[in-house]
Amino acid sequence: MSLSDVVLSIADNKQMLGLRYAEWATRAPSLEADIAAAAMGLDDLGHSRVLYGCLEPLGADPRGTDRESDPASLRALAYFDEPWSEWAQFVAANAILDTAFTAMIEACVNGSVEVLQHRLRKMLMEERYHFLHGRSWLKSGISQEPLDRAWVEAVEWFGPPDGEVAALHREGKLSMGPDELRARLEEQLDTKSPTVKIDWKKWDPIRRRSRPGAIDERTFGMLRGLEEKKFAPSSAAAKES
Amino acid sequence: MTQYKRVSGDAIEYNVFARKTRAEPLHQVGSVVAPDDDLAVAYARATYDEERWCEMAIVRKEHVIELWQPGEP
Repeated sequence: MSLSDVVLSIADNKQMLGLRYAEWATRAPSLEADIAAAAMGLDDLGHSRVLYGCLEPLGADPRGTDRESDPASLRALAYFDEPWSEWAQFVAANAILDTAFTAMIEACVNGSVEVLQHRLRKMLMEERYHFLHGRSWLKSGISQEPLDRAWVEAVEWFGPPDGEVAALHREGKLSMGPDELRARLEEQLDTKSPTVKIDWKKWDPIRRRSRPGAIDERTFGMLRGLEEKKFAPSSAAAKES
Repeated sequence: MTQYKRVSGDAIEYNVFARKTRAEPLHQVGSVVAPDDDLAVAYARATYDEERWCEMAIVRKEHVIELWQPGEP
């Protein structure tokens, strides 16, 4: 486990968050919320591209060939496995998970690794608007279930007290460890996290989650470009083969 | 599917102002509707961010004091 693994985890999660946001670009509660969903989706997809681009300069790219065939090889949280069917799921992800990812990016920017200090700084400015959006919708009141789930997955994602995020914090590569990240998230959202009991023995340190499973087949196909190929003219398909 | 209405009853209208260079004055580029200032900021940025503005600001429409309107003597 290395800093590259953490960066890849942020990248995969931001990619999935961006896709799930974009799915709500015509279904949100107002026209403005539609546009915000689309804009935040584009932001997070862009952030994921920047983060993937940091893997090579970090000296180790943990992406294997299995990412082309096995959806469980992607490192996104279980929260993103299926498309969201309720606006409350969007808001919980926006307020809690997006802010958790931003806290980790802050830890990278304020850590000792130069490439992350420089390349990730702009994301923090853009994320300010995601945060305002999530926090404001949170105030409007949503159902508790997605909030509880998002909190559990955020705390799990920060990792165990003796895991590699804690080690990277001790080495100075990250400015915050799991406890500080959780405190930062609570401070941002002005609330205490619910009591979260995690069985770290069941926790997957690569995917940073406890739940088994993977993203749905259609989304995985879209990530690999298979969905687009369905609409390609037959001449293009013939050329490719 | 979503249980929320697509039009909120208690929304506030905000005017959005921006400029591309320091040399030009702020001018109105549009408006957004939101229940509070934070969401209005997020909506204004998401809706009008297609240009490279050097400054953007929002003002509650109710806070604008009009001296006269079109058609008035």
